[in-house]
Amino acid sequence: MSVDKTIRHVKALATGIKYLVSSKRMTLMYPDEIEEFPDGYRGMIKYNWDTCIKCGLCAMVCPADAMKMYISKEESEEGKKPVRRPGINYARCVFCGFCVAICPTNSLKFTKVHDVVYNTLEEQVYPPEKFREGVPKPQYKKKPKKMRAILDEERGLRYEPVE
Amino acid sequence: MSLEERELEVLIGPQHPASGHMRMIAKIDGDIVVELRPNIGYVHRSVEKLAEAKKFLQIIPLVERPSLADTTANNLAYVMALEKLLGLEAPPRAQYLRTLLAEINRIHSHLYGLGIHGVMIGSSTAYMWCFGDREPFIELAQELTGARLSYSYIIPGGVRRELPSRFTEKVEKALRYMENRMKDYFNLYLNNPVTRARLEGVGVLSKEDAIRLGVAGPNLRASGVPYDVRKVEPYAAYPDIDFDIITEKVGDAFARVMVRVKEIQESIRIIRQVLKKMPEGPILHEKYIKAISPKMREYMKETGEVKFPGIFANLRIPAGEAISRVEGGRGEVIFHIISDGKMSPYRMRMVTPSFRNVILFEHLNRGVRVADIPAIYGSLDYFPPEADR
Amino acid sequence: MQDLLSFLISLLFRPCIFIPLIFPGLTVIFIMLLMIIWLERKIAAKVQLRYGPLYVFKPLGGVIQTVADLLKDLFQEPIIPKTVDKIAFLLTPIMLFGLAYLPTVVIPVSPTFYAFRSDLSLLLLLTLTTLAPIFTVLMGWASNNKFSLIGGLREGYLVISYEIPMFLSALSMAVLYGSLDLVDIAEAQKGIWGLFLNPVAGISMLVLIYMSTGKFPFEIPEAESEIVAGAYTEYSGIMYGLVMGASYVKLYVLSLVYAILFLGGWNPLPASMMDNPLLPGAMLFAKAFILIAIGVFLRAVYPRFRIDQAMNIGWKMALPFSILAIFISLGIVTITGGM
Repeated sequence: MSVDKTIRHVKALATGIKYLVSSKRMTLMYPDEIEEFPDGYRGMIKYNWDTCIKCGLCAMVCPADAMKMYISKEESEEGKKPVRRPGINYARCVFCGFCVAICPTNSLKFTKVHDVVYNTLEEQVYPPEKFREGVPKPQYKKKPKKMRAILDEERGLRYEPVE
Repeated sequence: MSLEERELEVLIGPQHPASGHMRMIAKIDGDIVVELRPNIGYVHRSVEKLAEAKKFLQIIPLVERPSLADTTANNLAYVMALEKLLGLEAPPRAQYLRTLLAEINRIHSHLYGLGIHGVMIGSSTAYMWCFGDREPFIELAQELTGARLSYSYIIPGGVRRELPSRFTEKVEKALRYMENRMKDYFNLYLNNPVTRARLEGVGVLSKEDAIRLGVAGPNLRASGVPYDVRKVEPYAAYPDIDFDIITEKVGDAFARVMVRVKEIQESIRIIRQVLKKMPEGPILHEKYIKAISPKMREYMKETGEVKFPGIFANLRIPAGEAISRVEGGRGEVIFHIISDGKMSPYRMRMVTPSFRNVILFEHLNRGVRVADIPAIYGSLDYFPPEADR
Repeated sequence: MQDLLSFLISLLFRPCIFIPLIFPGLTVIFIMLLMIIWLERKIAAKVQLRYGPLYVFKPLGGVIQTVADLLKDLFQEPIIPKTVDKIAFLLTPIMLFGLAYLPTVVIPVSPTFYAFRSDLSLLLLLTLTTLAPIFTVLMGWASNNKFSLIGGLREGYLVISYEIPMFLSALSMAVLYGSLDLVDIAEAQKGIWGLFLNPVAGISMLVLIYMSTGKFPFEIPEAESEIVAGAYTEYSGIMYGLVMGASYVKLYVLSLVYAILFLGGWNPLPASMMDNPLLPGAMLFAKAFILIAIGVFLRAVYPRFRIDQAMNIGWKMALPFSILAIFISLGIVTITGGM
């Protein structure tokens, strides 16, 4: 066993001990603490019913066929051309945000919600009437702490509570 | 006993802790691997055929899917091919932003590879550290693009977002952190005598074989071939950036690991230069800016968020062929697009580095020990979905 | 009633019952197992910048996580594959655990408190520790699985490469103290501990203990990324709990032996405290526990060796060193004229 190897063994063990006694941790304690995403996070999408011009570009650009134009029952009149409005299927959505980017009136906007539990596949389909109601509010048993990820020279990522 | 009787056929995968989404059919004689054949195709998703049924813009998220740890390379290569067909070039600032994301992506893709390799030879600490240290870079990319991995950031004619406020500071913090952490990586893992014993001299790929077999990326450079698409055929902002091609001479598993480690350090250098030299200007080609309504143009200026012009929904690409090459984290990504002037490509060919490296499983695993199989597998940074597409 | 109770207590404190059932026997083994598995996960987590087990009894950092795991294992369906050799498959975990535990009966707790004293107790102890690995090899055959087979064979190869140097290192202490009696050896270390007299033997024995119990960097028979779980691949439920526990029990037993041979056993407690087995026992346990903790800490630092490299260490490094250790012992004995 050479001297060099021994030194490297000692260095490896010393580094291990250094981390054993330090109090650094990377973990975000997820259900108790939830990350507050930076602006521009591509989460679930909210729909503005009033400004939408029903152009259908969002449905045309959608890469996953998640966004589709549905016949809006309350607006369509019999005998006339049916009015179509966008609806989204979150079972298919890949959160690329193309629909938001292409919307000419900014009627589609990102929210920061992304972790929603559904019991059935059908619940994940949002036809226009449901889509206008906005994204589901997260429900918690115990209110989690909102944490913001802050880049840090010492620790890489640090999580700080949001006031 | 004849050799036939002495051999034991072991099926490693697809349900094995370290096989990934593939199967390796190993014939072993005692502790020596006589032959190992990779059995790929378990995660084939028919990306090339699907692309023929999708519109050009819709293919962007699709080509990212096969290699989730290294999405920017595919995204960039695909868009570069489109731009060649469209005959336009993204403005300089967009080129720099593309380079920035590509390098951030390279760092966390390399950390992913190093981490998986660590746990394959038994160092769970290397795995946890690498995956933990990916997080600052993923966080950076998320702030820039809005998503953790599937960025879909690069679009024909430019990029989708302007730099967020105080982004340079944040990047600098993450880079300094990584530089400091590297010392501990060396002390605990890379210079650890046990790591060295497991990796040095294992799975040696000679320079000649590397060239003959058409190996790509860090695996090629570890055998002493200074081939890097960023230098050979510079794209994006790389012509203006000063950086070196990392090579190692030996070509063993440890050399492949060291190429990745040094490339992380080189990427840190590139990112610093990119942020320093970043020119001012638009981030989308003016042809497309003109196609956006004035109100939305105003909005773009305010938020830095690019709006797509309406023509993007049914983007028509002039008939023709284009090939583009990009150096991704795992190696050279090639896209070949044949367009017949319609809204979807006539044919899209996607050559991924993992697909070119899979041949090494058979080549390197001859005559090694059973325990070397994961050591070699991990050192190749092979990603089954990327190879299968 | 009072008499009966005091009788029972005195019965409990009789060496031949206290030692196999309480310390160093079953009760302490059980507590140690629950503690050490938790500690292993916790230490690894700390080095890896995470928390490790936490939510089962949060105030104490999830210390009863292992109890929860054990309960889960107990109620899990033990799956017995169709193609295994049933008797061998079912018996080996029990034999493995039982034989790993067996050597504890020979271990003395204080100079006056032991279940079994013999001039050859060290030899007997070492012999008993060699029995368990045979069942790991058997387990590999009985499971009828290629990974199990390779794991069993790896264990077999390792056993022959660590056992000889380990015994030589242990016996070098017998040479040094001129006795094979564990009580004598421990008593002889009242002044200087054996580790400082013969560090070569001490270090080589420590490394070989970790090698024999599959601690990193020698976690070769169970190497997950190569052979799934080695000989244990086909086991599930409480049977897996038993086989996994067996290697920890072996580590515990060997650590106790190491504490007696090299770390002075119950020394440096004064003679007046030796009457009750609890204090010297606690001393012995503390020393052994530190050794176990070091063993589990290594997981966070090292990857694993290849089998041929581990055998190289056994034959080409540990064996010469342990022979050297014997000569060192002989030298010391010659110079000082016996300890």
